Amino acid sequence: MWEFFIRSLDASTIFLIAGLGELIGQRSGVLNVGIEGAMLFGATLGFMTAQSTGSYLLGFLVGMAIGGLLGLMHGFFSISLKVDQVVSGMGIWILGFGLTTYLGAPYAGPLGMDRIPTVMGLSPFFVLAVVLAGAVWFVLSKTSLGLQIRSVGEDPSVAEVSGINVSKTRYYCSIMAGMLMGLSGAIYSLDYNPVWNYNFLQGWGFIALALVFFSLWNPFILLGGSVLFGTFWQLSLNPQLVLPGLMSRYVWRMVPFAITLGVLLMMSTKWFRDRWGSAKPQALGQPYFKD
Amino acid sequence: MRAGSYEIKLVKRISLTNLRALMLSVIAGVVALFAFGFVFVAAGIDPFMAYQKIFSFSFFNDFGLPLTINRFIFLLLCTYAFIIPFRAGLWNIGMPGQLYAGSLAAFGVLHVLDIGKSTTSHMSPLIIWGLMLAAAAVAAAATGAIAGFLKGKYDINEIVVTMMLNYMAYWLVSYMIKEGGPFMNPGGRGESFELPSSLHAPLIWGSPYTLLIALALGLMLFHMFAKTKLGYEIRAYGQNPAAASYAGISRFRIPLLVFILGGAIAGLAGYHYFGAVPGVYKIARNYGFFGDLAFYGIICGLISRGNPLASIPVAFLFGGLSVGGRYVQGELGMSFGLDYALLGVLMITLVAFQFFYQYQIVTTRIRKETSDVGILH
Repeated sequence: MWEFFIRSLDASTIFLIAGLGELIGQRSGVLNVGIEGAMLFGATLGFMTAQSTGSYLLGFLVGMAIGGLLGLMHGFFSISLKVDQVVSGMGIWILGFGLTTYLGAPYAGPLGMDRIPTVMGLSPFFVLAVVLAGAVWFVLSKTSLGLQIRSVGEDPSVAEVSGINVSKTRYYCSIMAGMLMGLSGAIYSLDYNPVWNYNFLQGWGFIALALVFFSLWNPFILLGGSVLFGTFWQLSLNPQLVLPGLMSRYVWRMVPFAITLGVLLMMSTKWFRDRWGSAKPQALGQPYFKD
Repeated sequence: MRAGSYEIKLVKRISLTNLRALMLSVIAGVVALFAFGFVFVAAGIDPFMAYQKIFSFSFFNDFGLPLTINRFIFLLLCTYAFIIPFRAGLWNIGMPGQLYAGSLAAFGVLHVLDIGKSTTSHMSPLIIWGLMLAAAAVAAAATGAIAGFLKGKYDINEIVVTMMLNYMAYWLVSYMIKEGGPFMNPGGRGESFELPSSLHAPLIWGSPYTLLIALALGLMLFHMFAKTKLGYEIRAYGQNPAAASYAGISRFRIPLLVFILGGAIAGLAGYHYFGAVPGVYKIARNYGFFGDLAFYGIICGLISRGNPLASIPVAFLFGGLSVGGRYVQGELGMSFGLDYALLGVLMITLVAFQFFYQYQIVTTRIRKETSDVGILH
């Protein structure tokens, strides 16, 4: 049971770090639906780098760097070129899904390196993720930088008038978001499950996206949601731990996705929206036009 | 921005003529193929030779052309499944889930009629084909309807919903065809039971009859968008849902309808590949690959700008490219996933080109007198 619990926390690390990236971006008004693509890139290039150089550190750095580059690209499309943010995000996802399938194919198989050391079985990345959640919360709600980011996401024209450079702020947030997504992917392929296989994420990125909506843009709720979904995910992989022999293991794999739909539905009811609906950044998904 | 005595400005296009849209789409396609050439260069392969091999295999080869046509029918149906919601400003990326549901329903008909196990049947094949088509369309429409309903009623992001449904349908198929599932092949190879040979789809000029269905759908959809009230409502909703609702267009009905229609067509795509393509006639073990291929529908839809007739040549071209990509991958000893890489490169190029569809770059000469008295303005 301890092992299952630990494994769930490991899984939640991946949801949490990717989700924190998305949360930062969304707070500044940039919606990136291509999380899964950025994660696949970070995971694949991180895996390739680590395997060919034998260095975990380089693997994580490359994963973050490629994520940051994709964030920059998303920023360029959606901020400078004013392409619809959904279109650009879908582009990143399909680019990631398509290109990493080809790039990673020669590396298919296990990583073949010593596992990253753990503390009582717990990966150090969980601690990092929790610290990151705290840091993101602190920066967003307690510092002037956070105020700047939030104001850009709420009402960019007012932010601009008060002397904030909207485009620059959004660019930085989008790059930061991409770096965290890339890191999260690299943690998946280097620590959580160090075996490369094509399109191995199977929906982690999209669940992370749903979790950000679920979190009401609050890093601590995101932390809670990630732990919850990390547990669901592990349960769906090991149903025999709780209810042995009840349903086919394939049916169990559907469960986290069904729960995500249920949560989204619950959050969209009038009852819920009237109470907490105002948390959504007002300018989310809208390009900013400077007149 | 200024350059010398010229001012360069980005101006949002008010309208885009068909000719200009066509020109931009052709340029986008050429740029994407040029960019993809670098994938060959990186692998140490002459891109011209590679493209020549791709095109000659896909379009001028007795073995490759039927593959291209089967792929084309599939992609065209997936494209239609994408563009109907797309014209309403909604993203149906649930084609994989919808086509899995459609395939399961089509094979479910055989299962219910108990045809899969015995090789003969007392019913006319015509009736059974009709039932399979109808079941595929209905099941996939129902899958699509979930996304449409949640979007219309609760405004839930349709991308997340369709993606969740994709994964759910993916695992449902695994459950049905593997490890003792109801549709498992008696040989236990992780695939579904096979269609009896009496039910192999009739061929027209060597292609499954689904070709006619796909082409007819193209004409019908073109007519729908251009001439009917529903088509107008979908376009109006796509332009601006709030404004459309003032004009009495329901913000609930349109998302629901476009996802039902799109889903139904995606279901036909599933039926086509697993129930009508010669040599398949079962839900294959690698069914996930066909789900992934469905995303080519997004690209065809974007490059044809949601035009059902323009989609036909585009789907034919990309059908051929994806078939040829897989072929040269083996022929030239490249690593797995060349057709996936092409998908990615095409997509990101098209995203960049969305900019040119929306904006034009206007350069105007700055006249001396106006720039001098700027303070009065």
